Amino acid sequence: MESFESKSTGIEQPQESRSRRSALLFGGAALAGLAMGSRAFAQSSAPTDADILNFVLNLEFLEAQFYTLATTGMTLDQAGMSTKSGSGTAGGMVTVKANPKVAFTTPSLQQFASEVALDEQNHVKFLQTALGASAVGMPDIDLMNSFNALASAAGLGATFDPFANETNFLLGAFIFEDVGVTAYQGAAGLISSKTYLDKAVGIHNVEAYHAAGIRTRIFQAGAMAQSASQAIAATRAKLDGTNTDDVGVGVNGSASTIVDCDSNGMTFARNTTQVLSVVYGGGAAGKGGAFFPSAMNGTVR
Amino acid sequence: MKKLPRLFTEDLSRRKFLAGAGMTAAVAAAAGCGGKSHTNPNPTPTPTPTISDADILNFALNLEYLEAEFYLRAATGSGLSSADAGSSAGDVTGGAAISFKTPAIQQYAQEIANHEQEHVRFLRKALGSAAVSRPAIDLTNSFNAAAMAAGIGSSFNPFADENSFLVGAFVFEDVGVTAYHGAAGLLSDKNNLAAAAGILATEAYHAGTIRTLISQLGDPYLTYANKISALRASAGGGAETMLDGSHIVAADSNSISYDRTTDQVLHIVYLSASAGVASKGGFFPNGLNGTIKASAS
Repeated sequence: MESFESKSTGIEQPQESRSRRSALLFGGAALAGLAMGSRAFAQSSAPTDADILNFVLNLEFLEAQFYTLATTGMTLDQAGMSTKSGSGTAGGMVTVKANPKVAFTTPSLQQFASEVALDEQNHVKFLQTALGASAVGMPDIDLMNSFNALASAAGLGATFDPFANETNFLLGAFIFEDVGVTAYQGAAGLISSKTYLDKAVGIHNVEAYHAAGIRTRIFQAGAMAQSASQAIAATRAKLDGTNTDDVGVGVNGSASTIVDCDSNGMTFARNTTQVLSVVYGGGAAGKGGAFFPSAMNGTVR
Repeated sequence: MKKLPRLFTEDLSRRKFLAGAGMTAAVAAAAGCGGKSHTNPNPTPTPTPTISDADILNFALNLEYLEAEFYLRAATGSGLSSADAGSSAGDVTGGAAISFKTPAIQQYAQEIANHEQEHVRFLRKALGSAAVSRPAIDLTNSFNAAAMAAGIGSSFNPFADENSFLVGAFVFEDVGVTAYHGAAGLLSDKNNLAAAAGILATEAYHAGTIRTLISQLGDPYLTYANKISALRASAGGGAETMLDGSHIVAADSNSISYDRTTDQVLHIVYLSASAGVASKGGFFPNGLNGTIKASAS
């Protein structure tokens, strides 16, 4: 994951106040005429609805694999789900440590993790059904080297095993959830079909519920977990090129920062290029890296 | 583990939404009211609505006024400033600073209060001179009536203590999510859609946090929340997911969040369980301000 290493140079330790201040600047710009979504719509070429749905299907594969492995120790294929494309091409490889099932000690967290796993599986199935023969297969997914590289970039150590314990699981989940929220928000403006827009908005909401569940538990886990989330948020903001639009879990003044949002109380939008940069760990579009070592499948990759 | 079935009812909302927003009587009649269970995963695309984006954003602004007054009063004892409430704003009844015992819950309350205030300010600024002022809001009799209707008791004070506060918050949060979800598809301007999507996701974060905390509290608060959930479904229609440790997210069998029509939302915030025209009551004793204020059915 050279891309992460090259990106890691000069990453500052996150400062909550810095994030908020930057967010305020961003939010101030957005106030001038509801311009917030304009970045998301500034694509160089107009992707079709199928292109966009396939883009998010890649992200759902990633999330579904992570949560299914964490809660059951099985990949989606082992759990009986198809990762093939709509035309029958086999899905890619999953790179993960042996025995990734998390040894949960808190029943309510285990229940929540299982709920999220089911939701992400449902999202994969829903998108596969909606896309039919156009659905892409699962791309290669890396849940081992990716986390190590991201931890290194975030200054959290040379390695990071999100399956090692409950706190690590929360932080691993944290990495995806807010990215999913921002990706759906960016994608919503690109979808022309009202029907698909409605569904995308509904999935967007569910990802936000997940993110809140994860972030609330990180808040409850205490200062070290909060600090790690801030380091990850800062790394995501660096990777997406803004350096600003991501807020970790912590306290800002007299308020918590459970919600990852700007000074208008609005969640951030990432365009597809920004999302790719985050999940590729800074790897080039079309080439991939980090969680998608062979890039995503589909036209937006 | 056997999962409780998610309460999954109808998604006929589009046409009902339009009916509530002033479409022709013929369409309203075709949509009917209180219909059950025609689940359609691919609803017919919505015809061009006669309502404007400003109408929709003002509808949302009314809901944000309600949430902001609730959370600000709970967190700080004071509500929106007169500048944020608009000219000739309606009065707010009830609401008081909570004696928080758990710093984290106080911090959550303050965070959500900040966001709701930001939403009010954002929408007022975006709407400019078209922004409606705050309508009259009742945070006392409304909760008592809701508690009675839900079978919780003859009265309920969400400002009594921090756990009651969480239950009070629960009354609003999922409603906001479903309302914005219903509204998003009706906005014609892409920038308005982006803004609505950003606010909506924040409401979903709030809902996720409140639901997480109540599930951790357990009974009696969990039971209260589910009684309220049932009340929302019966008063307004629209689907709900009963809260338990395995159901933090409120979503359908495809794990997609529910939406509600404006009619459904109005019936809930007016605490008007009976079918027919509802134009005021509950949290809004004089009704909402703006063009979307009375349910069509």
